[in-house]
Amino acid sequence: MASYTFDAIVIGAGHNGLIAACYLARAGRKVVVLERRDIVGGAAVTEEIFPGYRFSEFSYVVSLLRPEIIRDLELPRHGLKILPLPSTVTPLDNGDYLAGWDDHDLTRREIYRHSPLDAEAYDEYSRVMARAAKAIKPIIGLVPPDPSSLGWRDLKGLLKLGRFGASLSETELYRISKLVTQSSADLLEEWFELDALKGTKAASGIIGTFLGPRSPGTAYVLLHHYMGEIDGAFRAWGFAKNGTGGVTAAIASSARALGVEIRTGAAVDKVVVKGGRAAGVALANGDEYEAKVVLSAADPKRSFLQFVDPQHFPDEFVEALRNFRVRGSSGKVNIALSELPQFTCLPGEGPLHRGAVSISPSIDYVERAYDDAKYGQFSRQPYMDIIFPSMIDRDMAPPGHHVMSCFVQYAPYDIEGGWDDAKREAFGETVIATIEKYAPNIRRAIVGKQVITPKDIERIAGITGGNIFHGELLLHQLFFLRPAPQWADFRTPLPGYYFGAAGAHPGGGVMGAAGKMAAEEVLQDWRK
Amino acid sequence: MTLPSTPSPGLRPNSPAVVAELKMPAHVDVIVVGAGHNGLIAGAYLARAGRKVLVLEARDFPGGQLSGPRDGASFDAPALYPAALVRSEVVRELELDRFGWQAPTAPGPYVTALPDGGVLHLASSATDAATLESIRRLSSRDAARWPEFVAFMDRAAAFLDAAYATGMPRLPAVDWRAEGLPLAALGWKLRRLGRRDMFRVIRSLPMTAVEFTEEWFEAGPLKAALGALAVHGLTLGSMSAGGGYNFVHQWLLRGGLGHRTGAGPQALGDALVRAVQAHEGEVRTGAAVAQILVERQRAVGVRLVNGEEIRARTVVSAADPRRTLLGLVGAPELPPEFVWHTRSIRMRGSVAKVHVLTDGHHGLPAGTTVVAPTLQYLERAYDAAKYGEVSTNPYLEATTHGVVVSIHFQFAPYALRHEDWTSARATVERRAVETLATHFPKFAASIREVRSITPPDLEQQWGLTEGDLNHGQLILDQVFFMRPLPGWSSHATPIAGLYLCGSGVHGGGGISGHPGRNAARAILRHER
Repeated sequence: MASYTFDAIVIGAGHNGLIAACYLARAGRKVVVLERRDIVGGAAVTEEIFPGYRFSEFSYVVSLLRPEIIRDLELPRHGLKILPLPSTVTPLDNGDYLAGWDDHDLTRREIYRHSPLDAEAYDEYSRVMARAAKAIKPIIGLVPPDPSSLGWRDLKGLLKLGRFGASLSETELYRISKLVTQSSADLLEEWFELDALKGTKAASGIIGTFLGPRSPGTAYVLLHHYMGEIDGAFRAWGFAKNGTGGVTAAIASSARALGVEIRTGAAVDKVVVKGGRAAGVALANGDEYEAKVVLSAADPKRSFLQFVDPQHFPDEFVEALRNFRVRGSSGKVNIALSELPQFTCLPGEGPLHRGAVSISPSIDYVERAYDDAKYGQFSRQPYMDIIFPSMIDRDMAPPGHHVMSCFVQYAPYDIEGGWDDAKREAFGETVIATIEKYAPNIRRAIVGKQVITPKDIERIAGITGGNIFHGELLLHQLFFLRPAPQWADFRTPLPGYYFGAAGAHPGGGVMGAAGKMAAEEVLQDWRK
Repeated sequence: MTLPSTPSPGLRPNSPAVVAELKMPAHVDVIVVGAGHNGLIAGAYLARAGRKVLVLEARDFPGGQLSGPRDGASFDAPALYPAALVRSEVVRELELDRFGWQAPTAPGPYVTALPDGGVLHLASSATDAATLESIRRLSSRDAARWPEFVAFMDRAAAFLDAAYATGMPRLPAVDWRAEGLPLAALGWKLRRLGRRDMFRVIRSLPMTAVEFTEEWFEAGPLKAALGALAVHGLTLGSMSAGGGYNFVHQWLLRGGLGHRTGAGPQALGDALVRAVQAHEGEVRTGAAVAQILVERQRAVGVRLVNGEEIRARTVVSAADPRRTLLGLVGAPELPPEFVWHTRSIRMRGSVAKVHVLTDGHHGLPAGTTVVAPTLQYLERAYDAAKYGEVSTNPYLEATTHGVVVSIHFQFAPYALRHEDWTSARATVERRAVETLATHFPKFAASIREVRSITPPDLEQQWGLTEGDLNHGQLILDQVFFMRPLPGWSSHATPIAGLYLCGSGVHGGGGISGHPGRNAARAILRHER
């Protein structure tokens, strides 16, 4: 039985795991990353599903990746290239469309075409949301303090938080309090009258969430998606060269350059506990790795309820993790195409194909999609966010051919009777049929299609429940409550065992903040 | 002169005769708009502090939601609220017992029908044998958790009560002595609950009814019976975030699950009128305010619909914020931004009342009976409201203490999409009766007469905008320092000398008396 010794073992080579490893290695530590799959990337992978056709299998757009991480790890030098995703087009049922371009004035004029009132409001709305997102951003980089503790670290954190609060203007403060508690429908109905505009904007409030746009708390998720930036372009979304796998490939290359060992095909079975401390891990194949600390970048359920025997945790902690909500609600359909789908609202190959196409004609449409899901069915008329990676990066598909990525909601993990091939097939068919309404030539263009249900996300990417955020962004699962009260500072009740992934603050999206902060906490404890 | 402190025999309390006994005060310091419980409480406190108070009520009798329609129909429909558990400090400070008020003490049973024809009997007590036995029949695990649950709920409700009694300052400009310290004290109260309960409270508030009940119990009917309380009075479903907050709020208002039995709400109204009168205050009924007079951004009095003008240094409105500010003051007097926010206050009433006169053999147990078989049932009932329809299978809460059965009907949205309320009234009455009859077969045959109160009735007769009993939805973004509007939770308004004291402000929703009491104290502080 082979055995290896390191300063730190990182479980999982997703972007958070790799980033954590990089920051530990930068501090001169000997780090190994253990990845269950034969490729690195976790949920940020690019795979050639059909010969010649490459897909960002799960996560498909980038925006939230923290700029300081890109800097610190010199990711551009390691091949990170993010191409802008300039527009969002929402086809309407009346054959028209509503577009949001990368040029504010163009968008304003486009909205004016449908509603002069909304065009007016749009200016102010964009300003207000941008300001709110900028204002709340410092929270992302803050280690959540435990409000029940009087420890120096927590008091310092609370003080920081207080100073942050005091730094906000009254309007910012209230805008944020509203945004954190409101429903995205209520938020948007305050501003706009256009159904398609409200529907499309509300949609970003439900992504990865098992709530409808009319449920309180969804405005926060909307804000969460507003926090991204690319090369300083605030809240811009982009597509990584070579797909989202290109991002993790760059991080992995940076990690190797820093001396990190990355071992794929190394599925962790258990965290080894010696003398009440995490002392290493045991793999499924029997190999054992020893290390001073173990940092898990797997989802909370596996990190705390599977890798570690509950006896090592207080009952309250175990109970909290059992109650942690990880209901997957989204699916993905990756399609290989012989030709581009022709959308009747904007015929021909055009700017539409270089941006995102959003199937979200109204808030009611999205809400009804949720109604199906909450009673255990996939949406008969789902919300979709569609992009054509091959139009942004020609290397994604054979010349003249294309790939199409459809993010679909809702597809409940706990579908009535459970997922099987027939249901997956039916789900895929529903997606095609929905697209067909707007792009009639879609069927004859299909060369191959990969349908991914939450069950598949769980099976392939190893995320329990298949929730793309490792845990829903619910108000009672955020900040100092994520993943559990008192343990939101990336430490765990088991000394030497750390937690740094989307299931921790600040949550999902290819952001990397959790991995970075977890590593920093490890180093801080080492300094002591 | 003041009235005898207890009702003089033969004289019906607060009949016009009684009110007429008083001489109209020469000049008025404070005009209170609306003689609902909060208006009367604010008036009583201010009168007690030596102000000359005049309470104006549009209807021909005081009491607001403490009284029924009193439209001379064949049988008197009871008050909108089955019971009035006004805060004990209000009773003490206003010496309401001196004026003939005995707070209802006997905790009423809370009963839900089971599919097998039996009933689940829930007393809000940790030790009630019948309750424990009734739960044990469904699940012994749940029965074992019940005492801990009740104990937690009582602590959580006590904390919410303390929060309601604490004035919410205007952030970030906090007057540290008058507002900061009480807030700090409140924070300390929360911490004093102990780590476990502190986090439980914080986590519970934003939860959905489903999440909240599932963390405690496993038996479907029990979860549904509790879930019903989480959506009671709201236009939200069992799967909408924020149900946890409303559950604690309702538990606080009722002192548990079932409504208390004893002195009815009307008796409270009568006692409050006496309290006002005892301190030289006047309550004038049939005096509808048409306009709040504003001169140079300052409230100077009111004009009644009959043209009469009454001037006063201070005007306190117990009407809902939208009606007060947009209706009685008028948008031109207010900052545009403020008007916009006021328009955005979510009212959305979707509660109807159906009162049934029976021959007494209706077969319902005395006390509170709910029809909410499953959590999904509650959600489906809400689905209808989302799309502007009356629930086909409504959530009902019936209260009875004799021949009259009063049914609280959800959901009956104020804004119907496919019909108007002239036809919908019959629909509501039919569905209320039929639904209740399926669970209590004897009910149908016992019916003598049916009369209903629809959301438009609530708006026209009680002056509740959109028929919202709470003067604004009790949703997460409309509570605490965000009620009625962020920055305006301290009872003041942009109009100097105009204050809000109705259910639409912090502490409001239901018969607690907090808003009236807080408003009076805030006014006295401001004027000092």
